[in-house]
Amino acid sequence: MTTYNTTDREITVSRILNAPIELVWEVWTNPNHIKNWWGPDGFTNTITQMEVTPGGKWNLVMHGPDGTDYDNESIFTEVEWHKKIAYHHISDHEFIATIAFETKGEQTYIHWQMLFPTKEELMRIVSMYDIADSLQQNANKLESYIKNQQN
Amino acid sequence: MRRDVFQAIADPTRRAILSLLAAQTLTLNAVAENFHISRPAISKHIKILNECGLIEIKDKGRERYCEAKLEKLNEVSQWIEQYKQFWETKLDALETYLDKLQKDTNDNL
Repeated sequence: MTTYNTTDREITVSRILNAPIELVWEVWTNPNHIKNWWGPDGFTNTITQMEVTPGGKWNLVMHGPDGTDYDNESIFTEVEWHKKIAYHHISDHEFIATIAFETKGEQTYIHWQMLFPTKEELMRIVSMYDIADSLQQNANKLESYIKNQQN
Repeated sequence: MRRDVFQAIADPTRRAILSLLAAQTLTLNAVAENFHISRPAISKHIKILNECGLIEIKDKGRERYCEAKLEKLNEVSQWIEQYKQFWETKLDALETYLDKLQKDTNDNL
């Protein structure tokens, strides 16, 4: 009955980015770029492997502000040039992320779906997630963004 | 033991019980009749749902009535919204980075 409907076990976000698709694709698929923006605020990233091709491995270590390292192991499952990237996140908690890209003139529409194996697994992840942390993170992001605008 | 709304809805039978009770208040026996599992198993699910604050049990005569209290479920959507924010911040970071790259490029022209 619910086999084909995934809305109860997915999280989606989307955005129109103020950049042409060539640049968006480049900063997503080039490790030298992605390490600069991936991961929560205050984190740095080390990418030990990133082979953007179906079956290719993507190993990324996020270094937390408190010195904790978080290993992220994924396998790219689908790569369609300028259209779609999908990867299977296998470490810690499992999900499949599918990122769709669409040209909108000089802008790019990006749609990001995280699909979890079951609703139970999504609930488990969600309930572990720290609300206070996230709010703080957003506030900090906004603050630094505004500062950058003013400089 | 941890009792919260997430635990309540983590089980498919409990979700089915909740959707049944969302439509109407039923006696424990009437709930049990809708499932092909043992009466004690249903009682256990009802007990957990009650402890999580998702249903209220009222005794009337010899019958136990179960009533859904779905306001509690709002907690779940609030948490999901927060988790979604985590991914939104990734898009924020991407957006900021793209702006910076394009600004730097223009400055160098």
